[in-house]
Amino acid sequence: MKRIVDVNIPLGPIHPCFKEPVRLKCEAKGERIISAEVELGYMKKGIERIMKGRPWQEVMFLAERVCGICSVIHNMVFIEAMEQISDISVPPRAAYLRVIVNELDRMQSHLLANFSYCYTIEHETLGMYLLDLREQVMDELERLTGARVTCAYIIPGGVRCDIPRQDAEDLQASLDRIEGDLRRYTGMFENGPMIALRSRGVGILTLEAAQRAHVVGPTARGSGIAYDCRQNHPTYKKLGFVPITRPDCDNFARVMVRFDEVFQSIALIRKCLQELPKGVIRGGGVCKAGEIRYSGEAPRGELTYFIKSDEFGRIVEIQIQPPSIMNIEACCHEMIIGSDSIADVTSTFISADPCVACAER
Amino acid sequence: MTAYLYEQDLVTQKYRILVALWHDNLVRQIARELDIPVQELRRYLIEHFDMIQLENLPARAEMAEAHADHGDAVARALGREKFTLYLQILSSAAMDSIFSEVNARVHAGIPMEEAIAFGRTQIREALKR
Amino acid sequence: MNILQRIKNKVRSRSIHVAYVDVGSCNGCDIEVLACLAPRYDIEQYGIFVHNNPREADVLLVIGAYTPGWEEKLAMVWDKIPSPKAAITIGNCPISGCLFDRKGSFVDPPVKKHIPIAAEVPGCPPRPTEILQAIMSVRDSVFFDWEEEHP
Repeated sequence: MKRIVDVNIPLGPIHPCFKEPVRLKCEAKGERIISAEVELGYMKKGIERIMKGRPWQEVMFLAERVCGICSVIHNMVFIEAMEQISDISVPPRAAYLRVIVNELDRMQSHLLANFSYCYTIEHETLGMYLLDLREQVMDELERLTGARVTCAYIIPGGVRCDIPRQDAEDLQASLDRIEGDLRRYTGMFENGPMIALRSRGVGILTLEAAQRAHVVGPTARGSGIAYDCRQNHPTYKKLGFVPITRPDCDNFARVMVRFDEVFQSIALIRKCLQELPKGVIRGGGVCKAGEIRYSGEAPRGELTYFIKSDEFGRIVEIQIQPPSIMNIEACCHEMIIGSDSIADVTSTFISADPCVACAER
Repeated sequence: MTAYLYEQDLVTQKYRILVALWHDNLVRQIARELDIPVQELRRYLIEHFDMIQLENLPARAEMAEAHADHGDAVARALGREKFTLYLQILSSAAMDSIFSEVNARVHAGIPMEEAIAFGRTQIREALKR
Repeated sequence: MNILQRIKNKVRSRSIHVAYVDVGSCNGCDIEVLACLAPRYDIEQYGIFVHNNPREADVLLVIGAYTPGWEEKLAMVWDKIPSPKAAITIGNCPISGCLFDRKGSFVDPPVKKHIPIAAEVPGCPPRPTEILQAIMSVRDSVFFDWEEEHP
């Protein structure tokens, strides 16, 4: 795809604003972006190829290392898919604990994404506030699971460890603290006139374009698509989950959807802790042969696993479709087209919360 | 300045994306639909698409399956919106001219299958260009 | 060692600029490096500044098991850093490939093969404090006596 244009501006692979290596080749007319091309391949590890022919005990850890930021949901979707294949039932207490850990993971991921956005639009103060808040969420995650990032908490037929009563009380207390702080920071973001100048009306992703590219997660909900995989999850149904949407379609809407979802996660965890049933946390079971396509809601959107296993619980065929693929595609071919300046390219790209490690696997 | 520094040959890496399970199935399905060799379609995709578009092909195909071409029978058979808006293999202008030609043939009394077959040939020709 | 050199050493080891490059990890180590920026760990109180520009950097943090996309580029990035310089690998991936170094994968660890490495931090992922400690130890061993060793 070689064309003669005014200016070609390559961004990356190493760029102060990008957490991961990705190369964006923007074709610009003056400073207005007319088209962009993405060059990946800096993170391609071939995880699906390694997974083939391995028992689920190994694939479980590999699945978790598809993405380090949203590792809990990768673990959860893979394990729940295996449970669906082999008819393993989960004790109710374990199902609630899964939701708690998953929501804590979503909170830290959203806070990190919003930190990145604030950092990219050079509002470093708010960024640092959010990063500090994220550390508190990471503490809770560590207290519950024993590890900060790759915790392998969810196993077939239950979870790895229980939540003691003292820990549950501490979790409640720190949720109150986090909510209070976050309310202040969200107010700063919402009412900041300079932030609004940089974010409102920038990076428009229309509803039709979003639907065509199969955009998912907060990026889609910022464009008014009321779809969230948690609506179909049995435990979330019990908790009365309703997705959050905003109709504005711009960077501001996407970031605000993430802020709102953090509050929603806090409410969900509180409700879980209140209703937490008593009983065992591990049921046990044997993984069997079967084939399934199973989706779960990652912090970035719908995560789909297609798994085919044999009678010993080994993986024969697997395909992972992480949300970042769709979001990065829509971001680079829809949102940043027509940006008025190069500075808006990076901020728009970050507002879609791209995770290159997911997208390339 | 119109040339990039540090260019790298991406054909191997793009090929690796295309041979993943779902991508491979999809490419084979489209090749069957248009009746062209799989290798040729792969070469076309590698030359014309960037890497994230290749990765996103199955998701876009899924949405095309659900939402594209609900009205017209000819449009559905040719995959008018599927190949242009959703999969973006063809440009809208090329598809529109093929579509109007096929429609004209249908109105002239040529049987549907023959007209569609003609349309497919035109799409193949457009892909070779 | 004259007084000028002594001042140079001191100033150099008090102001470390860090660039990080991800050569194919799971992202877990990336965010632990980012967490070092957080007010809790506050990497800047030690005079370490993360800004991801290889041309101004002193320390290069390498994360991840080497993927084919980086074949020429990592060495290029390393050459662009002005000396004195040091590279630190973060996590298990650059040391051994962690669980990605299996039959059928595209990675080519260890990173040691491709560029000289001064320190390695194991862990999957290591804690932010460990990353901080590694940078501090490299600072003391590489930058503090640079003028004596390279007159």
